[in-house]
Amino acid sequence: MDFKLGRINLNAVAQGVGGLVFGNDTSASSEDSYVERLLDRISNGVLADDRRSAMSQLQSIVAESRAAQLAFGAMGFPVLTAVLKEERDDIEMVRGALETLVSALTPTDAAGGKKNEVQPTLMNSDLLSREADSIPLLLSLLEEVDFYVRYYTLQLLTALLTHSPNRLQEAILTTPRGITRLMDMLMEREVIRNEALLLLTYLTREAEEIQKIVVFEGAFEKIFSIIKEEGGSEGGVVVQDCLELLNNLLRRGASNQILLRETIGFEQLVSILKLRGSAYNFTQQKTVNLLGALESIELLLMGGLDAEPGKDFNRQSNQTAFAQRNVLDHLLLLGVESPWAAVSVRCAALRCIGVLISNHPLNLDALANKVLGEEPHFEPALNSIFRIILRTSSLQEFIAADYVFKCFCEKNTNGQAMLASTIIPQPHSGIRDPLDEDIKMPFGSMLLRGLTVNENDEDLETCWRAASVLSHILKGNIQSKERVLQVKLEAPMTSFGTPELLMHRIVKYLAVGASMSRNNGDCKTSTSSSCLYTQPIILRLLVTWLADCPNAVHSFLGSQDHLTYLLELVSSLSETVFIRGLSAVILGECVLYNKSDDNGMDAFEVVDAISQKIGLASYFLKFDEMQKSFPFLSAKASQHRKPLARSSAASMSEVENVEESTAIDPKHDEDPVLMSIFDGPFVSIIKRLETDIRQSIVEVFSHPKSKVAVVPAEMEQKDGESNEDYIKRLKSFVEKQCKELQDLLGRNATLAEDVAKTGGAGVSGSDQANGGKERVQAETLRRDLQEAKQRVEVLKSEKTKIEAEASIYRNLAGKMESDLKSLSDAYNSLEQVNFRLESDVKALREGRSEPGLDLEAIKAEGREEVQKESEAELNDLLVCLGQEQSKVERLSTRLVELGEDVDSLLEGIGDDVGLPEDSEDEEDR
Amino acid sequence: MSYAYLFKYIIIGDTGVGKSCLLLQFTDKRFQPVHDLTIGVEFGARMITIDNKPIKLQIWDTAGQESFRSITRSYYRGAAGALLVYDITRQRETFNHLASWLEDARQHANANMTIMLIGNKCDLAHRRAVSTEEGEQFAKEHGLIFMEASAKTAQNVEEAFISTAATIYKKIQDGVFDVSNESYGIKVGYGGIPGPSGGRDGSASQAGGCCS
Repeated sequence: MDFKLGRINLNAVAQGVGGLVFGNDTSASSEDSYVERLLDRISNGVLADDRRSAMSQLQSIVAESRAAQLAFGAMGFPVLTAVLKEERDDIEMVRGALETLVSALTPTDAAGGKKNEVQPTLMNSDLLSREADSIPLLLSLLEEVDFYVRYYTLQLLTALLTHSPNRLQEAILTTPRGITRLMDMLMEREVIRNEALLLLTYLTREAEEIQKIVVFEGAFEKIFSIIKEEGGSEGGVVVQDCLELLNNLLRRGASNQILLRETIGFEQLVSILKLRGSAYNFTQQKTVNLLGALESIELLLMGGLDAEPGKDFNRQSNQTAFAQRNVLDHLLLLGVESPWAAVSVRCAALRCIGVLISNHPLNLDALANKVLGEEPHFEPALNSIFRIILRTSSLQEFIAADYVFKCFCEKNTNGQAMLASTIIPQPHSGIRDPLDEDIKMPFGSMLLRGLTVNENDEDLETCWRAASVLSHILKGNIQSKERVLQVKLEAPMTSFGTPELLMHRIVKYLAVGASMSRNNGDCKTSTSSSCLYTQPIILRLLVTWLADCPNAVHSFLGSQDHLTYLLELVSSLSETVFIRGLSAVILGECVLYNKSDDNGMDAFEVVDAISQKIGLASYFLKFDEMQKSFPFLSAKASQHRKPLARSSAASMSEVENVEESTAIDPKHDEDPVLMSIFDGPFVSIIKRLETDIRQSIVEVFSHPKSKVAVVPAEMEQKDGESNEDYIKRLKSFVEKQCKELQDLLGRNATLAEDVAKTGGAGVSGSDQANGGKERVQAETLRRDLQEAKQRVEVLKSEKTKIEAEASIYRNLAGKMESDLKSLSDAYNSLEQVNFRLESDVKALREGRSEPGLDLEAIKAEGREEVQKESEAELNDLLVCLGQEQSKVERLSTRLVELGEDVDSLLEGIGDDVGLPEDSEDEEDR
Repeated sequence: MSYAYLFKYIIIGDTGVGKSCLLLQFTDKRFQPVHDLTIGVEFGARMITIDNKPIKLQIWDTAGQESFRSITRSYYRGAAGALLVYDITRQRETFNHLASWLEDARQHANANMTIMLIGNKCDLAHRRAVSTEEGEQFAKEHGLIFMEASAKTAQNVEEAFISTAATIYKKIQDGVFDVSNESYGIKVGYGGIPGPSGGRDGSASQAGGCCS
């Protein structure tokens, strides 16, 4: 019913809505009818005075009551638009209408209300901006002469813009000369100018096309002339608005930046940084203004959005142009020499120094040669900035100053070398405090003192800060890495101590830092940030140091404890993802860049240690875990600094709170220091290292260091080598190979276990990597198997050769036997002859006794002779037989070794062999 | 950075007639055969000399596509000169649209804007579809300066930009413009009285002081 009525009668809708919003409040309906009556007087009235007074009454009720605003929204817009269109001559009516509209869009003071109530102002601005011709109408009113008309119009536009920005932007863009009119307002009287400035600031926040047109209409000139008029950084909130508008125009496009550089240059922007007169007096407004100007400079020095083509060229041109305006001096004054300026200003100035020198050779040199202070207390600017790093109590300032060094060392080999060349340990003297400003020492000595001075306090604050700078100096610079590797420290506490390598000392601090964070338990409550940052920063230093530097790896592995400690860190569950990940990267570097041959610290040993203590799959998992956290970090980093805007509530207090709010936040993934550690370049280094490490570990597995060299030539029997020795040599060779095969099998089993463990976990990436390794492993094993087979083959042929020899000997033995047989036959026949002779002699003796004596003697003589003869012959035969026997014995044992059944082989011969024995027995008898 | 006058130009005309290439040839002296579609408006600048006076040209290269028409209209009023470009090889599309471009310009620009008609791609003589005479005729009818040019060979590119500037300069000398009103797209520079270029930067910043 309501719905139906609403279509017919607007008033009823208002009542309905009013009733909804205000419940049973009867005043709502009374206000409805009051507003209705006033509108009726305005549209249908005849007397000019009466209409005017109706307008002013309408304005005041709309300004005061939500119900009236609601009622006005339902009925009033067509009436007032008609006034604006058709009664331009009646300035008072137009003013009144505009003022009423402003009131209808401005929340009443009483509008605390319930949250879920309909906001009449929102509804009204939606209704007004929906009207197609209302915006062009308003823009045309800007050309009216009357001050209030223009003033209210601007206010109205601003109110519309805050509620429905997109619709207003579009409407202004499609209105010819719409922006031109707004820009003209900047040259108006102050009140209007400021109002227009605010409106333009809102308008340019997003819409790129509007930004360009505003620039085309000469916004830069106008902005700088207003800033100058208002007194530069000493000026009020108008200067802040100007700078916000300027930053909106510069933030996106290189095109606008080029225009600023090419047409009016940067002189006027730089001059805002000049501190006049009361340099010690930093009001909040001045701080905000300086921050705005520094943001403009930073935006210009960055050269626009990342994706834009020609960004680098634009950036360099801007860097050069700024350098010509001596911006470095102003920035150093603000960032380094103004301790009374707000921390946020000092940080912004330092960041600007960073982007000013980044990748710009001339500006890098300028900073390297810059000297601060007055005679005789000159000090290189870099030393002063380093002192800030060591000493500041603000993490934000540490990050900003650290950023300067990061930019200074980026692709600046000479600069790195210059800094590294001063790192020379100095004898411990009475002067122990590197933070003392009066003592000017070389950069390197400050760095070393910073690294080592606080170890006795169990507080590694300056240590991790200095370590961060050291990692910039070493990054990608092999000479500096080698140089700092040589640095040895005197052992401070032990009188007998030998000099200790700086690197080993740093690893020690890593362990100290770990134990500190363990002891402290909850780092969040600790006032010291040491326990949070010592480990990641030192690990980053080591990652940077070991990269591409075999000598650093050698030095690192010089102590067996280091490897053990790293393995512990990687698998420790109490450490963060980043610490485990970075430790894993260092372990990987120990494989990747390991050129050492020493036992116990070569790449194979490290890989074995990893796969045994951690398991390859879970080792690679550490990389994945860390990688997963990177995009999260970088996403956070991009939205880290939001532009300062007056409109974002209470910007003053915001400025003061910037550092606290970020510093207190203990969450790792939002931590500003961690974010500066894992900056883009470092993350990409880690990603590159990871692929290399994976490859090199696969390589180690596919080419295991062979303990047994297989040289085909050595497989052959050497000249003059006896069969026995040859066989022995082959045997030991096979044994060694077998042992190695066992090793490989063991490694293979570890891997298989690894795969089985992670197989179900679905870590497909590392799984595949491992699968690959498995395959490589299997390949190696198969090759080994083939080798072994071949060797068996060789041995087999060896055996047949020996068998053939054996049969030759067997034949030989047969011949001997047959010889023996014929001999024994001969002996038998002799025996027979002898027997016959004896019987002859017997017969003769019986016949004749006397001659028988002689005959007997002769017979004995003859028998003796024959016996002697046959005995000698037999002896010869026995010797010969013995020799044969031993030959057979040796051969048969060898055959047994070779697995031949000797008995069966000799079966046939065995019976024959018995014969000579028999004859021997006969002889004995 | 010092100049006697600063002139704002816009380049208009159908999409693909070579507006961006003309600008690139004029500011960077190079030709890019494949150019991305211009989105919205791009900017270029160059210093030239007329009558021994340094004159800075700020040139706004607009998108020719219909969808950007409403945006590019915002640039008309503040421009002192316009280069209206067509493609001599594409009569139907580009030459026939000149009238509608001109109407846009007349409607939104200030009345004294100097318009130069440019028949681009005159190196492609074998594909010519609009004769030189036709171009001249159109220019004469509508009171425009006319030139055929080639962004590829650079023929007449300098001349087109410079002769437009010379025309504007002459109008200034004749007192057509109130040069203190910046809405004509003309600005009197810091180095208003051009002389020997000694101490350029210094004089620029000083003059900047009294200018505001």
